[in-house]
Amino acid sequence: MFWSLAALCFAMAGGFAWLGYWPALPFAGLEVGLLAWAFSALRSRKDDYESLVIEGDVVVLDWHCGKRGGRRELNRRWARVECKCRTPGRNCRLSLCSHGHATEVGQYLNDEARLQLAATLRSRLHE
Amino acid sequence: MSDAAHAHDDHSHGHPTGIMRWLTTTNHKDIGTMYLWFALIMLFSAGTMALLIRAELFQPGMQLTNPDFFNQLTTMHGLIMIFGAIMPAFSGFANWQVPLMLGAPDMAFPRMNNWAFWMLPVAGLMLMASFLLPGGAVAGGWTMYPPLFIQGGISYDLTILAVHIMGLSSIMGSINIATTILNMRAPGLTLMKMPLFCWTWLITAYLLIATMPVLAGAVTMLLTDRNFGTHFFNAAGGGDPVMFQHIFWFFAHPEVYILILPAFGIVSQIIPTFARKPLFGYASMVYATASIAILSFIVWAHHMFTVGMPAAAQLFFMFSTMLIAVPTGVKVFNWVATMWKGSLTFETPMLFAIAFVCLFTIGGFSGLVLAIAPVDIQLHDTYYVVAHFHYVLVSGALFSIFAGIYYWLPKWTGNMYNETLGKWHFWLSVIGMNLVFFPMHFLGLAGMPRRIPDYALQFTEFNQIATVGAFIFGFSQLLFLAVVLKTVKGGEKASSRVWEGAEGLEWTLPSPAPYHTFETAPVVK
Repeated sequence: MFWSLAALCFAMAGGFAWLGYWPALPFAGLEVGLLAWAFSALRSRKDDYESLVIEGDVVVLDWHCGKRGGRRELNRRWARVECKCRTPGRNCRLSLCSHGHATEVGQYLNDEARLQLAATLRSRLHE
Repeated sequence: MSDAAHAHDDHSHGHPTGIMRWLTTTNHKDIGTMYLWFALIMLFSAGTMALLIRAELFQPGMQLTNPDFFNQLTTMHGLIMIFGAIMPAFSGFANWQVPLMLGAPDMAFPRMNNWAFWMLPVAGLMLMASFLLPGGAVAGGWTMYPPLFIQGGISYDLTILAVHIMGLSSIMGSINIATTILNMRAPGLTLMKMPLFCWTWLITAYLLIATMPVLAGAVTMLLTDRNFGTHFFNAAGGGDPVMFQHIFWFFAHPEVYILILPAFGIVSQIIPTFARKPLFGYASMVYATASIAILSFIVWAHHMFTVGMPAAAQLFFMFSTMLIAVPTGVKVFNWVATMWKGSLTFETPMLFAIAFVCLFTIGGFSGLVLAIAPVDIQLHDTYYVVAHFHYVLVSGALFSIFAGIYYWLPKWTGNMYNETLGKWHFWLSVIGMNLVFFPMHFLGLAGMPRRIPDYALQFTEFNQIATVGAFIFGFSQLLFLAVVLKTVKGGEKASSRVWEGAEGLEWTLPSPAPYHTFETAPVVK
C-alpha cells in the first residue's frame, strides 16, 4: 500500500510539476515522508513483546522493544517490585530489582493495569 | 455522548477531568465523539446559511441579503458542509467504529489522532470568523476558481489557510485509519473477512492520501499568486486560470467519492442487520468500491466540459464517467439483493438506509445525464447540477450519517433512542429533502442558473416549493438533536447486541462500550 501510494502521489505531483505547477511536489514529498514514518514506526514495533514467567525460584523476564531486546533471570527470593508514580496513580514506572539492577516491566500497560500487575507480582513473589 | 456512555467506567482515576480530558484525550471513543459533535455544530451552521439562501430565493427580487452576501453564503455553505460537516462526521464514525470492528484497543497513533481532531475547530473558527473581516467571507464559490479567488480580500487568505489546516487534519486522520486497518486487526480477521465499513474507509483513506497534496499545491499557488507576485493562474501575468480547474477537480472528483464511500460502508452494515441476512456479494462490494476509487482519478474533466476541450477528450471523460455507473450499479444491486426475501423490519436506521438506496440512485442517474457532454453543456451551472449533487450528498452522505448515528448510538451511549421521534425525524427529512431538491431538476432544465440571488418570474413556483421544503428539512434536524440529547441523557437500556440481526465484534461488547476495549485481542474464526 505504501509503495503504491508513494508512486501515485509522486506521479501526480510530478505530472503537475512537469507542466510548471511544481508546488504540489513538496507537499507530496512531505506527505509520503509522514506516511513512511507511520509505516516504519509500526513495522519496527510489530514484534514487540514482554513476557514474565515465574517458575519455582526463578523469575524469567524476556522482552523485545523496537531494535532492543533481552532476557534476564532473577532469583525469586531476592526480586523486589518497585513502582514509582510521579503523581498518585499516574505516570507510574514499574521495575523488578535484584542485586542492584532494575529492569522495567509493564511498558505496554496503562497506569491502572501497571498498578494491578505490581500488586499481583508482590503477592506471587512472596507467597 | 460519552459522558453518559462512560459514566460507569473507572477510567478517570488519575486522568485529567473537565476540559483537559477532551483536550488531551487519546482515546478513540472520546475523539470520535468530538468529531461527531463538531460535525453537528458545523452542519447547523452551514444549514442556517442554506436557510438564508432559500429564504432569499422564496420570491424574485432582493429581500434579505445583497448579492455579495448571498455569494458569501453559497460559498461558505459549500465549504463548511464538505470540509466541516460531512468529512469530520465520517472521521467520527471511523474513530468510534474501526477499532471496535477490528478488535483493536485503539487507533495506531492515538496522539496523532488527537492533533488531527483539534486542528479542525481551529480551521472551522477561521472559516466562520471570515464573515467578520473587512469585505466579508469568501464569495468566489467553494471551488475557489481564479480569477475571483485571486482578487478577493483578506478572508480569501484566511480560507486558504483554513483549507490547508483541514487538509493536514485529513491526512493525519487517514494515515491513522489506514495503518490501524492494515496492522491492528484481531488474529484471524483477514482483509476479506473485515466489515465493509472498514474496507470503504481503507479505500477512502487511500484516496485522501493520494489527492491531498494536489489540493495543498493548488491552494498554495493561489496564495502565492495573491501575495507573492507569481502567475500560476493569473491570466494578466501569463498564467492559466483553466489549469486551476484541472488541478482542483483532479483533487475534488476523488473528494466526491471520499464523501460517499464511507456512506456505502455504513449502509452495507445496516441493511444486512435489518434484513437478517448476510450482505449479498461481499467480495463484489469490495471490488466495486476499489473500482470506483480507481475510476475517480480519470473523470475529473467532466466538471469542466464548457471550458473547451478536444472532442476526443470530451468523449474520453464522458465514457469514463459513465463507466462509474457499473460498479455503483453492482452496489445498488447487492443492497437490493440483500433485502430480497429477508426478514425485514423498518427501524429508523433501516428507513434511512432504504431512503439512501432509493434517493442516491436518483442522484446517480442525474449524474449520468450530466456525464453526457452535449447535455452537460446545456445544463452546466444550472440548478440541475445543484439538484444532482444534493441528491448525492444529502440523501447519500447525510442520510447515511443519520442512519449510522441511529444504528450505533445505543452501543455508544448504552441507551435506546426514541423510535417514534426517530421515525418523525426520518419522514420529515425525506419529505423536506425531496421538496427542496426535486423541483431544482425542473428549474435547471428550464435554465435557471445557480449562484444567483434573483431570478426571472417563471421560476417562482418551484423556488417557493423548494424554500418550504428547506425549512421543513432544516427545522426537522432540531428533532434529530433532541433525539440525540435525550438518548445521551438516558432512556431504555440497550443490550450488548442491540439489534437482533447485528453481526460483528462491536456487538460482543457491552453497551455502552467500555472506555478501554479489546485490551486482549479477540480471535476471529
